Amino acid sequence: MPVTSHLLRPVRPSLIILTLICALLFNLLPWQLIGNHFAPDFVALMLLYWTLNQPRRVGVGWAFVLGVCMDVADGNLLGQHALAYSVITYLVLSRQRQLNIFPYWQQATAVLGLMVFAQLLMAAVRLIAGADLPAISYFLGPLLTAFLWVPVSNLLLAYQRKPVSESL
Amino acid sequence: MQATQPAFFKQGPKPLTRLLIFSTLSIALMVGDAQLQMLGRVREQVAIVLYPLQWLATTPFAALHSTRDFLTVQTDLIAENRKLNDQLLAAQAKALRMDGLAAENAQLRALDYRRTKAPSQLAEILYSGRDPFSAKLIVDRGDNQGVQAGQIAIDTQGVVGQVVRTQAMTSEIRLITDRNHMVPVMTQRSQVRTVIYGRGAGQLLEVRYLAPNADIKPGDLLVTSGLDGTYPSGLPVAVVVSVERVAGASFPRILCRPAAGIDTHRFLLILDPPPAGPAYPAPAAANASAS
Repeated sequence: MPVTSHLLRPVRPSLIILTLICALLFNLLPWQLIGNHFAPDFVALMLLYWTLNQPRRVGVGWAFVLGVCMDVADGNLLGQHALAYSVITYLVLSRQRQLNIFPYWQQATAVLGLMVFAQLLMAAVRLIAGADLPAISYFLGPLLTAFLWVPVSNLLLAYQRKPVSESL
Repeated sequence: MQATQPAFFKQGPKPLTRLLIFSTLSIALMVGDAQLQMLGRVREQVAIVLYPLQWLATTPFAALHSTRDFLTVQTDLIAENRKLNDQLLAAQAKALRMDGLAAENAQLRALDYRRTKAPSQLAEILYSGRDPFSAKLIVDRGDNQGVQAGQIAIDTQGVVGQVVRTQAMTSEIRLITDRNHMVPVMTQRSQVRTVIYGRGAGQLLEVRYLAPNADIKPGDLLVTSGLDGTYPSGLPVAVVVSVERVAGASFPRILCRPAAGIDTHRFLLILDPPPAGPAYPAPAAANASAS
């Protein structure tokens, strides 16, 4: 989180798991009804969020597992999302202390770069596997994901910002 | 060194190490999937785990879709039903017209058959007289076609009436049901001669002044007797419906139904006037000619 005067409550592991499952659920929604390429990648969003805010709990391992889940759900080449998620999670971890104190909009630009990088990585993997070059709309999803960064971060922090009762 | 480190600082392998491990694993997965096709089972297992989530995510949308389909199907069905109903109505109207044409054709054929036996001309009914007190029809044959007052109009089943007035293009036919219109008839079965009277439009015909012991009973067919010289003999006029013999009355009350379809058809046959008979004897007292 950016520098703040708030005292934050600790995050329960169940919340992390719940949000990740919800993200998976959101990704599984039938986005093809409004066009496949517009779908923001909620799983990547949550992964990045938790990696940035809870680097000791969520890391490359989670990214790999969720990536495999996404690959199976999307019917992609197995390991494609896993590789991309692992790489961007690592990149966040390597600059975690720096990114963490940025204001939200700067974080969002970082997220945009990371998401585009992930898309490029996946496109490269598909190219090597023999697929065609994707259309430019392929990169609309990362843009939407980056836009979602600020509201989603605020929403999740709202839980942590709840006032701690006096008795504690 | 590692063993003496407090547990708090234990973070496992470094992120880079983890990345290397997992990206190697990812690449191994990709190669195994793309090149060797040996990861079908792994995919199946993960898919089983994912299935509840997939179900949860897609079910509301599928339900929405099927609901919309259902509603669409409903409206489509209603529209189609309406269209089919319209078509059915149109077809029915057409069929009814066909029926009418067939019936008309049959009647015209029958009239034609009659016509070959007696010189006559075909007349189409234009309209029925508006006067509620008399039963009259207007037909489309008049003076120009040689129609004269006194000619007889028949249809396929029997006598309809008599031409009473002619104009250039039309003529009036007084129906046998008209009040006090008289036709000399005889019963076909027992050859009892009498006169049948009309009682007004839409009413039954009546035979008056017949002796109580006359041989007449319901179901008898009355045909023209031909005695008046106006109606050719042998044309069916009416069928006896009821014979009431009342003790106090001098004459039985005999009601008859016209044999012809008085109110039904569109075409009539106007018989040519019979050749003029011999002149009446000079001191003729009373003749039974119908007017």
